[in-house]
Amino acid sequence: MNAWIIAIVTVIVAPFIGGFLAGIDRRITARLQGRFGPPILQPFYDFFKLLGKSKIAASRLQLMWIYAYLVLMITALLFLVLRLDILLMMFILGFAGVCFALGGFSSKSPYSHLGANRELMQMLAYEPVLLLLALGVYAQNGSFLISQIYASPTPLISRLWPIFIALLVILTIKLRKSPFDLATSHHAHQELIKGIMTEYSGPYYALIELTEWYEIVLLLGIVSLFVANPLWVGIVIALAAYLLELFVDNVTARMTVGWMVRFVWAVGITLCILNLIWFWVFAAIKGVS
Amino acid sequence: MLPYNWMMAVAILLPVVAAVLVYIIRQYHARGVIVILAAIALIVNSILFLLHGKDTFSPANAQMWDMVVTVLDYLILLFYIYVGISLKNWLVLIFALTQIIPLAWFEFGMGGRAALANVSPTFVVDHLAIVMCLVISIVGSLICVFAIRYMYDHEHHLHLEKSRASRFLFWMVLFLGAMNGLVFANNLIYLYFFWEVTTLICFQLIAHDLTKEAIDNAARALWMNSIGGTALIIAMVILFAKGAPLSLDGILSGGVASAVLLLPVALLCFTGMIKAAQLPFQSWLLGAMVAPTPVSALLHSSTMVKAGVYLVLRLAPAYAGTRLSIMIALVGAFTFMAASGLAISQTTGKRVLAYSTIANLGLIIACAGINTPLAITAAILLIIFHAVSKGLLFLCAGTIEHIIWSREIEDMEGLAAKAPLVTVIFAIGVLSMFLPPFGMLLGKWMALESASTIPLAAWLFVIASAATIVFWAKWLGRFLQVLPKLGAKIESLSLSYTVPLWLLVLGIFGVGIGVASVYTGLVQNAVADVVTSGQALAVQGWGLTVNGYSAVSSTANFAVGNYPVWPLFIVFAIAVLIPFIFVAIKPGELRPVYLCGEQAGGTDTDEWYSTADVKTKVQLGGYYFQGVLGEAALNPWTYTLSIVLMVIMFAVALLAMGGAL
Repeated sequence: MNAWIIAIVTVIVAPFIGGFLAGIDRRITARLQGRFGPPILQPFYDFFKLLGKSKIAASRLQLMWIYAYLVLMITALLFLVLRLDILLMMFILGFAGVCFALGGFSSKSPYSHLGANRELMQMLAYEPVLLLLALGVYAQNGSFLISQIYASPTPLISRLWPIFIALLVILTIKLRKSPFDLATSHHAHQELIKGIMTEYSGPYYALIELTEWYEIVLLLGIVSLFVANPLWVGIVIALAAYLLELFVDNVTARMTVGWMVRFVWAVGITLCILNLIWFWVFAAIKGVS
Repeated sequence: MLPYNWMMAVAILLPVVAAVLVYIIRQYHARGVIVILAAIALIVNSILFLLHGKDTFSPANAQMWDMVVTVLDYLILLFYIYVGISLKNWLVLIFALTQIIPLAWFEFGMGGRAALANVSPTFVVDHLAIVMCLVISIVGSLICVFAIRYMYDHEHHLHLEKSRASRFLFWMVLFLGAMNGLVFANNLIYLYFFWEVTTLICFQLIAHDLTKEAIDNAARALWMNSIGGTALIIAMVILFAKGAPLSLDGILSGGVASAVLLLPVALLCFTGMIKAAQLPFQSWLLGAMVAPTPVSALLHSSTMVKAGVYLVLRLAPAYAGTRLSIMIALVGAFTFMAASGLAISQTTGKRVLAYSTIANLGLIIACAGINTPLAITAAILLIIFHAVSKGLLFLCAGTIEHIIWSREIEDMEGLAAKAPLVTVIFAIGVLSMFLPPFGMLLGKWMALESASTIPLAAWLFVIASAATIVFWAKWLGRFLQVLPKLGAKIESLSLSYTVPLWLLVLGIFGVGIGVASVYTGLVQNAVADVVTSGQALAVQGWGLTVNGYSAVSSTANFAVGNYPVWPLFIVFAIAVLIPFIFVAIKPGELRPVYLCGEQAGGTDTDEWYSTADVKTKVQLGGYYFQGVLGEAALNPWTYTLSIVLMVIMFAVALLAMGGAL
């Protein structure tokens, strides 16, 4: 019964947190750019305005995939709050990403097509890091269950800090921030229009916004796992990571897709693997002695 | 219930009889009825095997059957020599000679024949063999039913003067019997015989269309698998020379093989790896894609290539805990990664399927190499799930080919509007290959959770997983690029197409949702045939739990992982089915896509005003990254690394042997 309450509360509360964070993002970004910026609650105003717009679509298919995108994102978040299997959570998050990309493919739109292909390239870049993160959790705790992360007295960050750094890089991609706002962007880019989201409008676009809010909460939740005891430290770290992403967004220029894949594989995956090698060697030494 | 010798006869000999009938009777409908009846008989029979459970079998007049096997063995090898000479393909000839000469010398010179005749029982039908028998009989039979109509359309399209469909179906149906024999065989000479029969049928079916490409590729499949046959014979010779029994249960009886016997075990695994088209032997399977699609579905994804992984898996206890086991895991994991990466660059649908098959076989072999109870469970589940999903995808590819008469991915753009039914089935097949809640993902999840003992394999899995997402999603994406129209007309297809397709879809959901029952009723026993220590997976509530078995903390008493099967299927139903049913959209709500305001018309056109206001069609092209991930760019690396891995694999076995002497 308890799990049901946690699940329901999460589904209701998470979008408010996500939307609020998105509002803070817009305000801070505006200040960094020398603008005053919208009210903090602006994302919610936008959301309800979008809901009231007339329904317009470029095909029926594209709508199916974004519903799946939303449902799967919520499922991944529920895996986090119900403290289930972290590896499986990453796969579900991957499914959500695939659905979003397929939604982008579901119309004969050049911009959407370009964005969807770039979305897949982003997945090629970040998916290994997320899965290696799960392997790192196992290496430290001997279990893939998130509940074990909370039960463990040693915080993940003490031994998994290289993977944590890799996660910060991934966060930039997942939050669609520069230098990796390739598939779509929060800022206007002429050659991209709105990329993978170009063909969505009105209530359907609102649905994507909503999914993004869930995603922000999920991603920051994953960051907070690195200091799960006490949880408030983890949350502070997650918020600090979010702020860091905003600064990175505003001081970097967008790079190419190829550069992104090479960079993430060269830096992110290498960090993760070095981290895991360390565990392996450590375990071998411990086994010998 | 049938007597056991009748069940064996139905499994192995009934397909032979049905094949001969199909060959003689050249009338389309009568032939179809025979195939369907044989299919039903085989399916029922395989379920009888399941109900009967583990057993052994030796034919009554063993001497006669031994003679039949021997005569046919040499006839097949003489046929290979004939093929080598008539095609002037020296590789075929050489590897036919490397089989026939040692075999004759072994059987008649060394006295191996007497030793082989003494092997008892001839067949061992344990639970792992029953799993394989079910896959062969159910998925294989459905593919044969699909082939009835497929070959009719195929020949109609080619404008053949004289139908060769009888010949085609003859080999297809015969193949089912050979596969059953292969997985039941315990006596190594019977194993070798059925192995050679599958190689022969593979050659005949790849060459079926008799184009130059088809014959060349068939010859390549032949000589590569002949290397495998040669390795099998050498393994027999070494076993005999060391006084070891010439049967699979004999090799496995003492648990881990003594260091002296590790080399024959490695050779047998090598034979399996070639059949499973592991790198560097992938080219024969890629070439095999020229064959009509039912061949690819039956031989090159669902069953024959599974014989390779079956043999590696079967031998897992013999190399458990040795360095050979680690090398097998690495060969498989490397194949999984490299083939997944190469699949991204493929522009032909069937080649993507081929690479994906090679990759998944690599994953299964890697699981055998990891060799923990969890990994073995993953391997057996993957064999089942992969056969169903990949069988379906190949049949989809065949159906699509007969709708658009092309195998190119670029020609499949917007197929969701032209062929919505096949698109939906294809989408289910694709999603079931790499996403939760479907079985393949469950298998991959278990593989990753078990891979901690060989970290390098786990890292290769991770990279392969990412590549898998890309090549499937971008292919499916091409299907979906449609104009804003509603009410696509559902295409009409022959029942011979749709019945196998829908049954396989049903199978995907059946084994996916019922995975707990599949595990407890079938796979658990099969795992116990391979590994005896501990049970890694437990059914708990609506899901599966990985038990606290861990290399990291031996004191762990908590669960390692948890996979809520039914909740995930409920989520899947909510995510995909509910919008599918309830998202209504009115024609007036459709708009053409954004083309910077230069759209030349309404929703019915995809043209825009280009330079000088010339109407131009929007053209989209898929991404293939051939410069970075193409065969030309990657193959020098993949060949070098995979050959190095194979050499180390043998070096490890030889060193163990050398150390023991």
